[in-house]
Amino acid sequence: MGRRGLAILLSGFIAAAGAADAADMSIVVLDRHNRPVPEVAVTLSAADGHVLAPMRPAAEAVMAQNHRAFIPALLVVGTRTAVSFPNNDMVSHQVYSFSKAKRFQLPLYKGRPKSPVLFDNEGLVVLGCNIHDEMVGYIFVTDAPRFGKTDAEGRVEFRSLPAGEYSLSAWGPFIADSPESLKRVLHLEAQGEATEQVKLSRPLRSRPSPSPGREKWDY
Amino acid sequence: MVRPALWLLFAGATLAAADERLDITGAVDARWVHSDSAPSFLDGGRGILRFDAGHDGLRLGRAFASLKYRLTDTVSLHAVADAYGDRQGNAVDFSEFWLDIKPFPTSALRWRARIGAFYLPVSFENRGPGWTSVYSVTPSALNTWIGDELRTVGAEVEARWLGASSGYAGDLSFVAAAYGWNDPAGAVLAFRGFALTDRPSTLRGGLGTPRVELYHEIDGRPGYYAGLGWRHGERLELRTLYYDNRADAAAEAGNHYAWLTRFVSAGARFEPSPHWTFIAQHLDGYTVVDDEDAASPFRMNFRTQFMLGSFERGRERFSLRYDRYRTHHLTGFYFGPPSNQDGHAWTLGWTHRFSDQWELAAEHIEGTSRFPPRASFGLQARQAESQSQLAVRYRFDASL
Repeated sequence: MGRRGLAILLSGFIAAAGAADAADMSIVVLDRHNRPVPEVAVTLSAADGHVLAPMRPAAEAVMAQNHRAFIPALLVVGTRTAVSFPNNDMVSHQVYSFSKAKRFQLPLYKGRPKSPVLFDNEGLVVLGCNIHDEMVGYIFVTDAPRFGKTDAEGRVEFRSLPAGEYSLSAWGPFIADSPESLKRVLHLEAQGEATEQVKLSRPLRSRPSPSPGREKWDY
Repeated sequence: MVRPALWLLFAGATLAAADERLDITGAVDARWVHSDSAPSFLDGGRGILRFDAGHDGLRLGRAFASLKYRLTDTVSLHAVADAYGDRQGNAVDFSEFWLDIKPFPTSALRWRARIGAFYLPVSFENRGPGWTSVYSVTPSALNTWIGDELRTVGAEVEARWLGASSGYAGDLSFVAAAYGWNDPAGAVLAFRGFALTDRPSTLRGGLGTPRVELYHEIDGRPGYYAGLGWRHGERLELRTLYYDNRADAAAEAGNHYAWLTRFVSAGARFEPSPHWTFIAQHLDGYTVVDDEDAASPFRMNFRTQFMLGSFERGRERFSLRYDRYRTHHLTGFYFGPPSNQDGHAWTLGWTHRFSDQWELAAEHIEGTSRFPPRASFGLQARQAESQSQLAVRYRFDASL
C-alpha cells in the first residue's frame, strides 16, 4: 500500500467518524393546549465555541401575494438571500418595509416584479402593502448557521449536527410570549436523536386569513 | 379618415399597456323588481324604497365604471361614472372624482390625502367597487342617506399608525377633511325622511322629483369632519366621525338654501370567523334651515341605527339586516305636516357568485314607517312597503 492509499483510508476513517459523531435534532413548538404551532422561525447556533458550518443559502426565496395576503405569512432566510415578490392577485400591490433590517419600496405592480430584493442584514423585516393596510408579512433574516420554520406539526428538523452545546431561539408573528422566554441552551450527544419541545405559556394572537373573492373590496 | 385615427388609438393603447397605468372595474346590474311600495321619492312620492308599485318589472339597477389612473407610484386619479337609466340627471354622470396621494410610509405613521369629490368614510357596508354594498343589494337607511346627500368636495387627510411595525396586528387612524358644496345636505332628509335605496346621487344629477339640487356652495363657508378609527386584526374595526357642514342656515342663493347639518356617526364591524360578519352603525344629528319670512327656523333632529349579520360560505352569501330610523321636527312648520318619521325595515339578501364576472343577487325588504307629510299626497301617514329584487350582475376588470 502506497502513501496515497493510506491517505484515502485515513480520510475515509475520519469521514466515518464524523458521521458517527453527528446527531439529528427536532424542535417542536406547542401552544398552551399542546397543539402544534406552525410558522415559527427557529434558529440554532453553536454555544460552546465549536464551529458550525453555515447552511448553503437558498438561491432565491419567494414571498407571494394571494387573495390580499402575503404567502407565506413568515419567510425565514439566511442573510444575503434574494427574495422575489410575485403578485398572484387581480389587483396591484405596492410592497414596502420601513424595518431597520431592510428598507425598500416596490413600485405598484401586478405579476412578478423585474428583480428580487436582497436581504443583507440580520433582523426582522415587516412587510406592508401601501394599497391594502391589512396586508402584513414577515421576513426573518438570520445570521445563524442553522435555521428553519415549523411545519404544520410545529416541527423543525436539523440533521447531522456535531455533538456539543447549542443555543436555540424561536420567534413567530403570532406568538405573544417574549422571545427571551423561548431561548434554550441544548446539549446534543453524539449519535443521538434529540427532540426539544418549546411550549408557549401565552395564547397565540389571531392570524389573518386570505379572503377569496374580496380582492376588490375597499378599493 | 377613420383608419389613421383607429391606428393612433391602437398605438396609444399598446404604449399604455407596457406599464398598465389605467385600471377599470365596472359592473352592469339588470334586475327584476316587484314592489307594492307607495310612490317613491325618486318619482315624486314619499315612499322609502327605490322602486314603487308603478315600476315593477325589468329595470337597470346600475351600470358603472370605476377608473383608477396611476400618475406616479403614489399618486392616482380616481373616477366613478354611473348610469341608472331612470332619467334623473344626465344619462351618465360621475359620482366620485378624486386625486389620491399615498406616499410610502417611512415610519409607523402613514399619511394619505384625497382631493376632489368622494364619499365620507362612514359606511361599513359599501366596500365594493363604485361604493356598492357587498352584503345586500340595498344599503341600510343610514348609508343610503350618506350616498344621497353627502359627498366630500374638498380635501381629506388621514394619519394612520401602522401597528404591524410594533408587533400589533392593527391600526389606529385619524381623519379630517375640509370641504365645500355640501350646503344643501339635509334637504332630502327633511322632505322625505330616511329611505332604503341603492341609488346614490351623482355629483351633478340631483335627487328626487321635483329634483333636489345637491352639491352647491351657497354661503362660502367650508365645512369639516373629523374621525377616529381602530382596526384590531382582521376581526374588529371601529370608526367614529363628527360632521359639521358649518352652513349659514339663513343663506340662500337663487332657489338654493343652505342647511346647517351636524351629526355624529359611530360603527363597528366584527368578523369572528372568515364566514361571519356583523355590522352595527349609529348616526345622530340635526339639520336647520332659516327663512326670513318664517317665525322660527325649521329644525329637525334625526337618528338611525342598523344591525346586520352576514354569512358567507363558498359562492353563497346570506345577509339579514334590521334598520331603525326616526326624524323629529322641532320648529318651523312651514313646509306642511311635521317631518316626523318613525320607521323600521327588515332586509333579507342572498348572493350567489357564479364566477369572478357573473353574480346573482336576490333581496327582499319589508319596511313600515309613519311620515305625516304623506297626507299631502292623499296617503295615510303610516305605510307598510315591500320590494323584492332579483339582480343579475356582470363585472368586468381591465388594465391598460
